[in-house]
Amino acid sequence: MIKITDLEKYYRTEEVETIALNKLSIEVKEGEFVAVMGPSGCGKSTLLNILGLLDDPDGGSFVFNGIEVAGFNERKRADLRKKNIGFVFQSFNLIDELTVFENVELPLIYNNVKAADRKKRVEEVLDNLKIMHRRNHYPQQLSGGQQQRVAVARAVVNNPKLILADEPTGNLDSSNGNEVMQLLTELNEKGTTIVMVTHSEHDARYSHRIIRMLDGHSVTENILI
Amino acid sequence: MFLHYLKVAFRNIRKQKMYAAINVGGFAIGIAACLLIALFIQHETSYDSANPNRHHIFRLVGEAKQNGQVHSGIAFPAPMSKAILNDFPEVEKAGRIMSNSLFGAANNQVRRPDQQNNTYEQGFAFADTSTLEILDIKMIYGSRTEALKQPFSVILNKSMADKYFPNQNPVGQRLIFNDNPRLPIIVGGVMEDFPTNSHLQYRGFISLAGVSFWDNEQSQWTASNYDIYLQLKPNTNIASFEKKMTDDVVDKYMVPAMVAGGQKNAKESFKDTRIYLQPLSDIHLYSYNIEQDDTRHGDIRFVYLFAAIAAFILLLACINFLNLSTARSANRAKEVGVRKVMGGSRNNLINQFLSESLLYSFLSFLTGTAIAVLALPLFNKVSGLYLSMPWKEWWLIPALIGGALVIGLLAGIYPAFYLSYFKPINTLKGNLSLGSKNGRLRSSLVVFQFSISVVLLIGTAVIYKQMQYILNSKIGFDKDQVLMIEGADALKEQTTSFKNEVLNLPVVKNVSVSDFLPVNDTKRNGNTFWEEGKQQDDGFALQHWVVDENYIPTLGMKLIAGRNFSKDFHTDSSTAVVNKALADKLGIKDPIGKIITNGGEHLRIIGVVDNFYFESMKQQVTPLCMVLGNSNSIVSIKIKGADMKTALATIEAKWKAFLPNQPMRYTFLDERYAAMYIDVQRMQYIFTGFSILAVVVACLGLFALAAFMAEQRTKEIGIRKVLGASVAGVFTLLTKNFLKLVGLSLIISIPVGWWLMNQWLQDFSYRISLNWKIFAFASLLMMTIALFTICFQAIKAAIANPVKSLRTE
Ligand SMILES: Nc1ncnc2c1ncn2[C@@H]1O[C@H](COP(=O)(O)OP(=O)(O)O)[C@@H](O)[C@H]1O
Ligand SMILES: [Mg+2]
Repeated sequence: MIKITDLEKYYRTEEVETIALNKLSIEVKEGEFVAVMGPSGCGKSTLLNILGLLDDPDGGSFVFNGIEVAGFNERKRADLRKKNIGFVFQSFNLIDELTVFENVELPLIYNNVKAADRKKRVEEVLDNLKIMHRRNHYPQQLSGGQQQRVAVARAVVNNPKLILADEPTGNLDSSNGNEVMQLLTELNEKGTTIVMVTHSEHDARYSHRIIRMLDGHSVTENILI
Repeated sequence: MFLHYLKVAFRNIRKQKMYAAINVGGFAIGIAACLLIALFIQHETSYDSANPNRHHIFRLVGEAKQNGQVHSGIAFPAPMSKAILNDFPEVEKAGRIMSNSLFGAANNQVRRPDQQNNTYEQGFAFADTSTLEILDIKMIYGSRTEALKQPFSVILNKSMADKYFPNQNPVGQRLIFNDNPRLPIIVGGVMEDFPTNSHLQYRGFISLAGVSFWDNEQSQWTASNYDIYLQLKPNTNIASFEKKMTDDVVDKYMVPAMVAGGQKNAKESFKDTRIYLQPLSDIHLYSYNIEQDDTRHGDIRFVYLFAAIAAFILLLACINFLNLSTARSANRAKEVGVRKVMGGSRNNLINQFLSESLLYSFLSFLTGTAIAVLALPLFNKVSGLYLSMPWKEWWLIPALIGGALVIGLLAGIYPAFYLSYFKPINTLKGNLSLGSKNGRLRSSLVVFQFSISVVLLIGTAVIYKQMQYILNSKIGFDKDQVLMIEGADALKEQTTSFKNEVLNLPVVKNVSVSDFLPVNDTKRNGNTFWEEGKQQDDGFALQHWVVDENYIPTLGMKLIAGRNFSKDFHTDSSTAVVNKALADKLGIKDPIGKIITNGGEHLRIIGVVDNFYFESMKQQVTPLCMVLGNSNSIVSIKIKGADMKTALATIEAKWKAFLPNQPMRYTFLDERYAAMYIDVQRMQYIFTGFSILAVVVACLGLFALAAFMAEQRTKEIGIRKVLGASVAGVFTLLTKNFLKLVGLSLIISIPVGWWLMNQWLQDFSYRISLNWKIFAFASLLMMTIALFTICFQAIKAAIANPVKSLRTE
């Protein structure tokens, strides 16, 4: 599903140029659950942003579902993104002004799903993730674990083929973290491809394969199953 | 989707109440100002628009150059309208209006024959039947063509007819004018009241049939007292008609008449004369430089000025919206990022932010309309108008909605593009200080807002100063404590005994009988005089006032040479006391004993008074002479002491003893004097009002901006305080930049304000000089207000406990 070859990404500020990704090549198959690990600043988030079509690489190739997407413009990337990819962030990134229901509904709105269908689908997802009773609460009224659950719900509501999670448990205690990992595993079992960045070896063990990075490079891969 | 946007916008408003209140409040103020001004403009431009023939109707205006200055007037000789009608086939109708109060127009004492008491009625004019047709006068009773056919017939307007002849058709009834029962006036018809947006506001038209104010008056070309209205055939070429008509009137009539009167270079004196056609719909707004046009009219320059000011206030509100939106961008950045990650396109986000600004705009229009409705009575009072909200007009609601759309888009477009531009990868990491990014734009806009406010403040201060100058400067006479009794000609031969009895009252200091007074709407009499022994061609315009020997002391004028008239000198009948302007004009150091003449009258100068303003301060004091004589419709009484109430009662009792059937009609000289400057006064009020609004709107923005800046720098301030910064230090840190901006706006606005107000002052011949104090005052005021506005936020931030602010991060 994902094949990147010699991917490069630089950040230029006035004084310095940082090489965030340095000729990185990896592949992720459909249905895989991959964990990305590495020290802070090694380029994990940068990689995830490019995989998520939020950012454009400066060199190399990125084939997504058989299409070369490196060099796509913002509009094309956005279009591909909203149909195929769901995101889960470390800091949840829920919109404070929207209720749980409305946050989860958001991707469907932008995909022009009809109101009745939206309601059905959101309720289904909230039910699945056992947060239906919180549907009318605002994010500030929820615990961290609950917020991340809503974020996961929002990521999957659109039935994406790929879920990208950047340290999804980073802001959670271990029991809440385990619950989220459980959710991701269940999603993966239902066929969703998952790429997850994590600092935790414990969390990484939920995945099939661990990619270890250093200075924008992939150094080793551990295959767990 | 749109509902989703609205929902989010509403929640944002609820969450950020202060921000929302400032946006809506500022907008609402701007919109209210615009609405009121729009009503004003709509009214001002609607004048005389009901006349179906308005495109072919014109008023004649004469233009002549004197000493290089252009003078315009609308009074023409009596036979002129008929002459033009006869000479030019283009002229369909020609009609005259004569409103000169010297000849019984304007004001009359009126009663029904069966009534005892007279009522003073204003607003009469003599008119031709053709004038009624040109002006499309609508009759309620009687016929337009017949009503003024009879000599001494009158058309009353509805309200006056209802007053004297309630619930009946008064055609054929009689009225007594000015206690002259031998000459009853016959009601020929009743017309509708003129609408408020007509340039004419007469309440009655008196027939010109058979009228001749003196021998051969109707055929005399050398006296100008008639306003002329023409209705031309469609498709007349106006420019060439004006030229033809001017040549015809001058060459065929005026010049021969003057030559016959003994003038030598008559032709030469008309060299720069031009008669032009003023379209009916232009009369109201484009007559400001026509002299002696007693129709109440507006001024297109004010229309533009007020429109500009209202637009500026609205612009200031838009700037607030823009500044606050971009300043708060950090708060919205995360939302933008999340929405984009969730599939929102830039267009989706632009639409969302525009919906939000539209929501603000609509809320503001609701509030603003409410404010306008509430403020309308006050606005009417200040502007002297009778405006009302046009609720019944079909276009009102669409216009308001359209306005809300335009303002919403205008204010929202930049923030929408700016906010929607954020890249999710930048914003989702948080901790991006996006707010400071377009600080320069925001600063420029703040400077712009305050520059406008300061210019308005300067304008207000200068107008106020000039008005104070007008009211308090040495005007050459003492306007205080002087009662003017008008309509005193009804005393007839009892005038002198009334005067003497009043003079004997203990509350009275002095009494003078004269119709000539140094305030508007009293008598004037211009003549050409020259020094005896010189040529008529050396003559100059001279006001020739008939007064009595008490005049100068009653009005507190100052004799600077010679003496006042005296009963002891029998020769005083052919002497004159003149003003200093005349002495200057003659160019003689000691004019006492010199003789001036107009050919018939020879006047020996016995005294000189210091100049006193008898026209508006907008004009130079011109030469004037006073002679002894009988001019008995106004009695001026100087009161002793401060008890005006008792004085008034005693004098009124005396009046009643003389004239039981005519109520005493009086005004006060100082009030009449102030009324001459009612336009300046109005300008002052309106400017004050608008500059307060502008300052309020600008400060609302500043307040919110200061709040957000303080909020954004909470952490920085916390760290500084932990490191030992003092409260004063933090306060300075937070206020310094804002005060710099206000200071910059002062530097910009002071020259602009100076230039503008200097222009305005040029209208006055007698004016204040612009000194640094006015600008210092405006600057200081602005600085103080600005400091107060931001200091609340700054103090709050400065005294906050740093531990708290650091923990929240
Ligand atoms: N927007 C940016 N501008 C400049 N440098 C950046 C930016 N984002 C990331 N970097 C740099 O790129 C490198 C990789 O960053 P990132 O992918 O966030 O690392 P990780 O997520 O592995 O901690 C780091 O050195 C970081 O400083
Ligand atoms: Mg990272």
